[in-house]
Amino acid sequence: MTVSEQTKVGQNYVDGLRERFGAAILDAEWQTADQVTVTIKLGSLPDVVEWLYYKQGGWLSVLFGNDERPLNGHFAVYYVLSMEGIVKSWVVVRALVEEHRPEFPSVTPRVPAAVWGEREIRDMYGLVPVGLPDERRLVLPDDWPDDLHPLRKDAMAYNQRPAPTSDSETYTFVNDATGSTRDVPLGPLHITSDEPGHFRLFVDGEDIVDADYRMFYVHRGMEKLAETRMGYDEVTFLSDRVCGICGFTHSVAYSSAVENALGLVVPPRAQAIRSVFLEVERLHSHLLNLGLASHFVGFDTGFMQFFRVREKAMTMAELLTGARKTYGMNLIGGVRRDIMKAERTRTLALVAELRVEVTQLVDMLLSTPNLRQRTAGVGILDKKVARDFSPVGPLVRASGFKRDVRADHVYAGYASLPFDVHTEDSCDVLGRVLIRAREFFDSLSIIEYALDNLPAGPVLLEGFHYRPHQFALGFAEAPRGEDIHWAMTGDNQKLYRWRCRAPTYANWPPLRYMLRGNTVSDAPLIVASIDPCYSCTDRVTLVDVKKNKSTTVPYKEIERYGRERKDSPLK
Amino acid sequence: MLKLFKIIADAGEATAKYPFAPFPVSPGFRGKPELDATQCIACAACTTACPANALTMDNDTATGIRTWQLHLGRCIFCGRCEEVCPTHAIVLTPTFELAVANKDDLLQKASFRLQDCSACGRPFAPAREIDYAMALLRQSGVAVDEARRAEFACCPACKRAATVARDAVSQHLSPEAEQ
Repeated sequence: MTVSEQTKVGQNYVDGLRERFGAAILDAEWQTADQVTVTIKLGSLPDVVEWLYYKQGGWLSVLFGNDERPLNGHFAVYYVLSMEGIVKSWVVVRALVEEHRPEFPSVTPRVPAAVWGEREIRDMYGLVPVGLPDERRLVLPDDWPDDLHPLRKDAMAYNQRPAPTSDSETYTFVNDATGSTRDVPLGPLHITSDEPGHFRLFVDGEDIVDADYRMFYVHRGMEKLAETRMGYDEVTFLSDRVCGICGFTHSVAYSSAVENALGLVVPPRAQAIRSVFLEVERLHSHLLNLGLASHFVGFDTGFMQFFRVREKAMTMAELLTGARKTYGMNLIGGVRRDIMKAERTRTLALVAELRVEVTQLVDMLLSTPNLRQRTAGVGILDKKVARDFSPVGPLVRASGFKRDVRADHVYAGYASLPFDVHTEDSCDVLGRVLIRAREFFDSLSIIEYALDNLPAGPVLLEGFHYRPHQFALGFAEAPRGEDIHWAMTGDNQKLYRWRCRAPTYANWPPLRYMLRGNTVSDAPLIVASIDPCYSCTDRVTLVDVKKNKSTTVPYKEIERYGRERKDSPLK
Repeated sequence: MLKLFKIIADAGEATAKYPFAPFPVSPGFRGKPELDATQCIACAACTTACPANALTMDNDTATGIRTWQLHLGRCIFCGRCEEVCPTHAIVLTPTFELAVANKDDLLQKASFRLQDCSACGRPFAPAREIDYAMALLRQSGVAVDEARRAEFACCPACKRAATVARDAVSQHLSPEAEQ
């Protein structure tokens, strides 16, 4: 897409980079008015990313590799920075990596937020981040062959995988405690909602000294699947399935990535309808999390009531999209279903009912002494840690940062919709609960306003031309933070590369710091406060460093202990 | 505390009577796809559109049968098939009770006869598609009677050969000149 000089947003960042790094800046190309990809010399990568991140108000949204050998003979690494300083735009830093020298300088020592992304690039492409302190695998299993990197174009088919060679895990969990601690394994089947994970809490008595965790036990290989097996227009339906809660958000992010890459202008009515569906998702997700917050502080009546009322949000989704999950609504260029008068009337009635009922429930929850007692000052996400790790959603907003992709960058219909970005300075679990409650009411207002002011016109753009090797970012604010997708079109109407980052991926790395200094009975509450997706099959390993004893406890048991705080499983 | 009791009292009983009473769904609910085989022309548009590969077509040229298959275990209920179907043969119904005791019961099939080419005798398209093409032309005012069926039931390769043969004569082109 050609972007005219006048409309380029973020030129100041490119000018600043050229002035400061001169010859290291090779090229700057705009994909949309506010997305620029800057190609730099590989050696300057840490300097450039650090400067944009700390000096220019950037946040590292996602980073990923790409096997561009068939295109230009090199691998490439991309660091996507959401610039939230005075000028709000996206700057994607791209550097080429030579095939015969598959390594790049690690950014993690300068910007800690890069840690998971760089570990994943090493697993998936075999590109070594030189200087990355954490040399463990992130995504691949322990017994995966060393020289097989799944996302390389010449590596393997999507439906093949090497047979497992071992049943035992060799992964080392990191414990920074200076004194002795006890090991509490939580998992390997756990934790919050998307997939099983293994948590290891290092405790001294009841106090968590450090924590480490491992995810990706059921990595689904969706990116590979999309690149090899599906057409670009079918991937919208696959991207729905990234998450069981915020699936629609993912497909909005994916569709807009392709729309941005191909320079398509989505009709305003489709954009507004997308916003309505996105907010319906936020309604049911926030009610779910408020319910869980009640559950984890031992207030199960509240949990039941929130889930009862949540049914109204699910009914709204069913009414508007034809399924309780808002799946299958997006196409490249718009949406598949219009909102008719009968649906609009019924939805507005449900919004009114929800407003009354949830107001009562939130009042009741906040006046429950147990809630404040259990959540205030618990699971503190320090502002410095938050700034370093680029977390997203209510988690970062509860640590005082006004980050919300709906307000920071333009997408769907949000430019003309009324809402506030709520922040709290308490940095604790309570702050996250309060923010979710406030955002819930904002979502109700957005839905009302959008339904009353739906622009006229078509809901789908038809008759566009597909072009290969175009790329751009797409993004959407899910209930738990921003979803960000990067898509590059390829030959045969297939994607060349699809990178999809769910919000919880950005929220896991700082969790360790949130767990430190709390008690074992607070752990489930803290993990739930980032609202990960819960599978109820988790276990926990507790390691006591003093007694040098390891106990494996069913997750249910830890959860029970978190609620009742009686009969400690450690004794 | 009193607030809570009031909320509970006001809520009453929230549990639905299902499965002892039917569970109503919203209008426009996307449930189990149903094929009306009498309407279907076996054109395979739905199998091309299906993102999940739940819909597939198999041709058996030996027996001259095309088999349409729906695997409900793979279906994601997106309704793309309904959108692309030219004859409204497939629609998504409000049925959501899909549990089966035997996994094979998730597979539904419909068989359609393939048309043998009137010239070379090899099967090339579903017979229903030929009927549909003739009916469409009749509908738009072109006189197509059963006598012309052989013309429609001719495969593209044979049609091309026939056209080339006819044109070669009419334009006085010798086979050498054509090369």
